[in-house]
Amino acid sequence: MLLEIDDITLHYGRIQALHGISLHVNEGEVVALIGANGAGKSTIMRAISGLRAVSRGAIRFQGEDISKVRADLRVARGICQAPEGRGVFPGMTVQENLEMGAYIRRDHAAVAKDMERVFGLFPRLLERRKQAGGTLSGGEQQMLAVGRALMARPKLLLLDEPSMGLAPMIIQQIFTIITEINQQGTTVLLVEQNAQQALSRAHRAYVLETGNIVKEGTGSDLLHDPAVKAAYLGVA
Amino acid sequence: MTTEPIKQPRRGLHLGDRFRALPKPARIAAIVVGIALLYVLPLKGFYENLGFPIPVGSGYLPFYTTGSDMANVLFQCGYYILLALGLNVVLGYAGLLDLGFFGFFAVGAYTVALLTSPDSKLITEYNWLESPWPWLVTVPIGVSLALLSGVLLGWPTLRLRGDYLAIVTLGFAEIIRIVAKNQDWILNGDRGIPSVAHPPGTWSDGSPVFGILDWSPYYWLVLTVIIAVIFLIRNLANSRVGRAWIAIREDEDAAELMGVPTFKFKLWAFAIGAAVGGLSGTLWAGQANFVNSATFSLENSILVLAAVVLGGAGSIGGAILGGFLVIYLPEWLRSVGDVFGWPHSVDVFGIFRLDTSPTSLRFIIFGALLIVVMIYRPQGLWPNRRRAAELKDRQKEVAPVE
Repeated sequence: MLLEIDDITLHYGRIQALHGISLHVNEGEVVALIGANGAGKSTIMRAISGLRAVSRGAIRFQGEDISKVRADLRVARGICQAPEGRGVFPGMTVQENLEMGAYIRRDHAAVAKDMERVFGLFPRLLERRKQAGGTLSGGEQQMLAVGRALMARPKLLLLDEPSMGLAPMIIQQIFTIITEINQQGTTVLLVEQNAQQALSRAHRAYVLETGNIVKEGTGSDLLHDPAVKAAYLGVA
Repeated sequence: MTTEPIKQPRRGLHLGDRFRALPKPARIAAIVVGIALLYVLPLKGFYENLGFPIPVGSGYLPFYTTGSDMANVLFQCGYYILLALGLNVVLGYAGLLDLGFFGFFAVGAYTVALLTSPDSKLITEYNWLESPWPWLVTVPIGVSLALLSGVLLGWPTLRLRGDYLAIVTLGFAEIIRIVAKNQDWILNGDRGIPSVAHPPGTWSDGSPVFGILDWSPYYWLVLTVIIAVIFLIRNLANSRVGRAWIAIREDEDAAELMGVPTFKFKLWAFAIGAAVGGLSGTLWAGQANFVNSATFSLENSILVLAAVVLGGAGSIGGAILGGFLVIYLPEWLRSVGDVFGWPHSVDVFGIFRLDTSPTSLRFIIFGALLIVVMIYRPQGLWPNRRRAAELKDRQKEVAPVE
């Protein structure tokens, strides 16, 4: 088991956002977290990457409890997140953004190689290499955020709403690339509102409602679950 | 599907680009000539040889110098430029709004004053020191203490972001100022500390290099220090540390997610900025001879902030230009005003005299100037290109352009 979350709770001030969440991600999997706005999906991501501290419970990565470890040290352990709302560095060029992704790494030759790989996955970024991140389109920024996270060479890639605000065609592209990244050996945990795409791409998935996990199963099981269909897929 | 890369629209003279396009020997020569020019600025002979008249007592419009002693004005510009360079690291690079920056200047100044003055209470009352120390020895101590106070102030406050940090630093600066003003046991409040030592050195005729009459050596000293500080800051900005600062400024969460220890680097920026501010204070105290609690005045913090924002946050050239303008402009306006007969004060119905000298009006002038600059050139007069791009990005978020 690569990642194991054991009964975590998390508070924003006095508001409890997570009520005892437990989930796990196996090596080589794509796992999806789906749920409505405010269900706590992004909060789980923040807890894993270390942007928010959990109030209780354990987050074990490769067997080690990292729930008290600083965010930057979690990156060093192999967890990297592409933040929600893209979060690219607007004043840095595409290339500099990607270099920031490799900030913790000292193996410059391998970094250069990984940059080639990212440009291979996202040819559009190669065209825009010298352009400031803030001037890219929404889809390009999303590609950049994913590419930048890959530059850290993570064992576990966290993707927070990779399809947010994108045109259907671009969403297809992004998900195809996520599958490709996974096949190249990176484990992926992704949060999505686009349940259709997420469930059809994921090995397993969890359904989240108001800070609780209400269902889990393989992607295709949930895709055909009547309750999930009604609530998230817009089919009665 | 291939599209042409979008050309980013750029305006202006692009002096920086033109300069970088020059061959390396030409660039080095230009820098050397430029620096040499800066060193001869306070000398009267320089202007005479150029054929410019000396304006003192004459009716000429002094477009290149001021009515008061040029070296004096240049020295004041110098320590403000140093302050602006320090705040530029904090505000321009790391993006931390520190409204109490002048406090670090005061730490440097007071350290020098306490250790070098024979009237310091450390000597007269507490017998901690047997005799005053030389100025040069106290400079590294002043800088270290400023750095340390930067860390002490930053440690609890840098967990806050944006406006909250600004409020807390403002509060801290005020607390320090009020304490310095009212307590009597060491800093001596408003009465201050007199007879602060000057930097060492004597001319061949035995007179001190750093005396009271000629300000030029002080200017040369501060200019030399500025050049050294620019060199250090430039190297730092181009290193991993500098990249981490930019990342924090642009998106702190994203920086953290890339593995940047954000708190550590923010503290670094704070400490380095504080050290440069403290250095400026030690140089100033070496000239001023007298330090009291008025040194802490909030106006000064705001003036340094105005210098950095006016010049262009995140740009070394901008900090220099800003630091220069906030001191030079009022001086220059005063001498221009003298030529045109602008009154230094106006009698209001015989009740009180309103001070109308440009030095007193400078905050009104800068207030107006800042508003104009922020409307037409929000990135500052000499902007950092990256910073300008960020600003544009944020503008889009606040008010979407059609």
